[in-house]
Amino acid sequence: MREIKIVSKNFSVKDSHLLKTALKNGAYESIKEAFSKTPDEIIDIITQSKLRGKGGGGAYTGKKWCLMPKNPEKSFLVVNCDESEPGTFKDRYIISKDPHLLIEGIIISSYAIRAHDVYIYIRGEYYQFQKILQNAINEAYEKGIIGEKVMGHPYRIDITIHRGAGAYICGEKSALLESLEGKRGHPRLKPHSPQPEYLFGYPTVVNNVETIATVPYIIKNSAEGYLRYGTQNSPGTFLFALSGHINNPGVYECEYGVSMMEYIESFGGGIKGGKKLKAVIPGGASTPVLTADEVKKARLDYDSLKKFGSSLGTGGMIVMDEDTSMVKALKNLLDFYARESCGQCTPCREGTGWVRDIVASILNKEATMQDIETLLDVSDTMNGKTICVFAPAVSGVINAFVNKFEDEFKSFLKSVK
Amino acid sequence: MSEKLVTVKINDEEIKAKEGELLIKLLKKEHMEVPYFCYHDALGADGNCRMCMVEIEGKKRPQIACDTPVKEGMVVKTNSDMIKKVRKNILELELINHPIDCPVCDQAGECRLQDYYMDYGVYEGRIDKAKKVHLQKHLDIGNNVILDQERCVLCQRCVRFTDNITKTHELGVIGRGNHSRISTMPGKKLNNPYAMNIVELCPVGALTNKDFRFKQRVWFLKSTPAICHGCAKGCNIYIDHNKEKYKDDTIYRIRARVNHDINGYFICDEGRMSYKELGINRQYNALLNSKTIDFGDVSKEFEKIIKETKGDILILADANLYLEELEAIKEFAKTLNAAVCSPLKIYIDESFGDDWLKSKNRAANAKGIQKLNIPQTYEDIEKLELVINFNHPAFKNFLTPKSISFQTHKEFEADLILPIAAFSETEGTLINEDNITQFSQRAIHSKQKIPNIIEWIEMLKDKK
Amino acid sequence: MSFSFTKENIKKIEDLKKRYPNNNALVLPLLWMAQEQEGYIPLEAMEEIADISKLPPMHIYKTATFYEMFHLQKTSRYNIKVCKTLSCSLCGKDEIASYIKEKIKDNNLFAYSEVECLGSCHSAPVMQINDTLYENLTTQKIDKIIEDLK
Repeated sequence: MREIKIVSKNFSVKDSHLLKTALKNGAYESIKEAFSKTPDEIIDIITQSKLRGKGGGGAYTGKKWCLMPKNPEKSFLVVNCDESEPGTFKDRYIISKDPHLLIEGIIISSYAIRAHDVYIYIRGEYYQFQKILQNAINEAYEKGIIGEKVMGHPYRIDITIHRGAGAYICGEKSALLESLEGKRGHPRLKPHSPQPEYLFGYPTVVNNVETIATVPYIIKNSAEGYLRYGTQNSPGTFLFALSGHINNPGVYECEYGVSMMEYIESFGGGIKGGKKLKAVIPGGASTPVLTADEVKKARLDYDSLKKFGSSLGTGGMIVMDEDTSMVKALKNLLDFYARESCGQCTPCREGTGWVRDIVASILNKEATMQDIETLLDVSDTMNGKTICVFAPAVSGVINAFVNKFEDEFKSFLKSVK
Repeated sequence: MSEKLVTVKINDEEIKAKEGELLIKLLKKEHMEVPYFCYHDALGADGNCRMCMVEIEGKKRPQIACDTPVKEGMVVKTNSDMIKKVRKNILELELINHPIDCPVCDQAGECRLQDYYMDYGVYEGRIDKAKKVHLQKHLDIGNNVILDQERCVLCQRCVRFTDNITKTHELGVIGRGNHSRISTMPGKKLNNPYAMNIVELCPVGALTNKDFRFKQRVWFLKSTPAICHGCAKGCNIYIDHNKEKYKDDTIYRIRARVNHDINGYFICDEGRMSYKELGINRQYNALLNSKTIDFGDVSKEFEKIIKETKGDILILADANLYLEELEAIKEFAKTLNAAVCSPLKIYIDESFGDDWLKSKNRAANAKGIQKLNIPQTYEDIEKLELVINFNHPAFKNFLTPKSISFQTHKEFEADLILPIAAFSETEGTLINEDNITQFSQRAIHSKQKIPNIIEWIEMLKDKK
Repeated sequence: MSFSFTKENIKKIEDLKKRYPNNNALVLPLLWMAQEQEGYIPLEAMEEIADISKLPPMHIYKTATFYEMFHLQKTSRYNIKVCKTLSCSLCGKDEIASYIKEKIKDNNLFAYSEVECLGSCHSAPVMQINDTLYENLTTQKIDKIIEDLK
């Protein structure tokens, strides 16, 4: 199995974050090509490439861009670098190892959606990576790559980094925009028809860092060049990642569709300590867990994981060996969700606390079968009845853990005399 | 919202509605209400309580009625088994951290949580494993409002009121997750003339009225529709009162009454608290030269004073009196050959008026005075021998040899002082500053049995 | 006590205003600026931020309480934040956490707290001290880090 380096090609190059190194390694070569086309032609190419969002949702980028108005008074591009999904750490590599690739992608994407102002929302904890990115942006301004005239073309692009302050929910795109507008990160009610997002009332596109960083390759190598890799419905490559009980944790870019088990063996070097595999969370904590048997059958693409009732998410695989307690793991995740819930709507605000307390009681051997039934019932109430997808994700996580590891959960129950 | 009418089906019944109208409003109009906390007609929807969810054909998930505009052919079910289960479960979630304060909570009896539990809940408790979140209780946040953070369901009606209606921004949700709670800025309190409206807006007992705290259970109160007499705005109110055994009929609080032409859903704090003065420093006895006399002797004494008056008589009529009372006074004046007047300038208070519900004209029936052509001035003050005052505040400016004062409060000195019923103890018509005629009902039947003006005039009118 | 931004910060603020279509967007950047300037965010700073961003003070306050990284009270010089989420928890966070807590016991220079995923799962266990990330923690590494900071 080989790494296909579309987005990560410069990661191991020394000083790859500096402009002079980046230029030597092909930075900004796609800009001329991009400006020789019209914005609509660029949107067309991206649509044809079937590029899917790499922030966890997997929505088609071309479709999103098509929703933007052709003659806006003002519009924005917002790059989502709030990367807080447990098990995910790929965007930090892009901004710290190849920030100029991101800037290149930003230029083309802004041009395509007719935006001139770009905000990169970066999580507060990534401060040292933010500094590297800011430095790259400064270099780009100095050399006229961005600013009043992008590389000499009569098109202005300004990029501003906006620092978050410790809220996972601000990775949800409408909560991110609320945060950018200076408010609490409460996700917005969803519109009744397909519409762009709005920042201060102006149409806006929110895209993940890796999604934008993929755009230069597609422009340079055409949509077909991207479709060459991956599968029919999951084209191209993804910065998959491995963490947990694995010998070689890290980020390894690879095309979609490869066998998950092979990925774990070949890039990850297998399970640490030669132990047996028990479970893998395939795409960051919010995706339902897979048993070892399912892992052996699964492929790393959207369709295959959907068949197993899970999702590709952010591609961050958390590997768990045979000695892992599934109850402890679930409790750990529910602690996370209870802490990160924004608290706006009832099922999530109250539900996340309650399910965490129930699983805590299971872990303490104080629970009964009734409590497990209650757990699944509350999980059902959190599914599909809230403002955003945070609570449904929690619901999916709970159902997968409890149903797929039923015996283990039951073994913790208080014995009824 | 367009004017185009569409046909929708709600619970198998065909209903016509305006296209784009909010489904929750339509359901209210058609008396098919769904439960809700965060929606309010004056504040709009917030979509956070999730109680108003209904089933809409063609939609995978239940939809919140407060964010659903009505479309042609929409098929809605508000009472399917699935919706009933959703409602029950969401209610259960609201109740996890909600303290069972009912025995000591003023909201009991008019609490949406209680009502919805009886309608949609009534289940075996299973929340023993949930660890309750503890927050602050009975916080005095100013303007007679007490906040109990634990009881709050975070509907944010109070926040939306202070942000969008009064635009004073005192309240907000702080914290995150299930530690979210309502608060003011540290060290600051509520500070606007309409703050107490949030007590009525709050669907549960999180915001309660400090003045009303622990005074009465609401199911004992009778609500009489009346008109506030605080100013010429004529806001519609309910006077909530009760007559306990061995006690007198007492007013416990005033609430706002909806009137889309005048005050909408709200009233000002001063109007809301104006009932208090109706119980303080009241004139109960008839006094002749500062000595109490029986009501039975009043007629005789009144007749004596009239007979002894050779000069002019002026009657002053308070611009807060009802039209019926004013008309009776006019008739009475004719029989006494007296002039009537009601100076209106004294009621103007520039500092009180604002651009919403507070009028700078503190006379509730100033327009009534004008409609009945009662003059506002009297020229020949020097020739006056007797002034008969019907509760007018300008009485103190008329120094005459003889004086009779019909007054609600122990306000003025006069030769003959007679008590009269206050506006809540009688009924009548008022015209507000926008020329809207309204009727205020009688709330209180006091055992003091103070006659109202019309009853006095009836008693005294044939004397000359 | 009253609060005002330093001259340098005021200049930064003027530059920032040009980058956003609405001053409301300045809330988060200004909260960070105030925290960097004072070590925490006093109420007076929030009132100043309210003025600049054209929002009521309550809006600044309620926004500040939403985000975990904002300190509304004075804190220790070094805030040690150990990641407790799944990947780190699977890779030895518990032992490291106890070691750190023991090491900084009774030392007011340090404050200990546990935070959620820091985005460094492949180098677990990790911690952040103020704005610096420390990866692949071992007891020896921790000894050195703490000694250096003292």
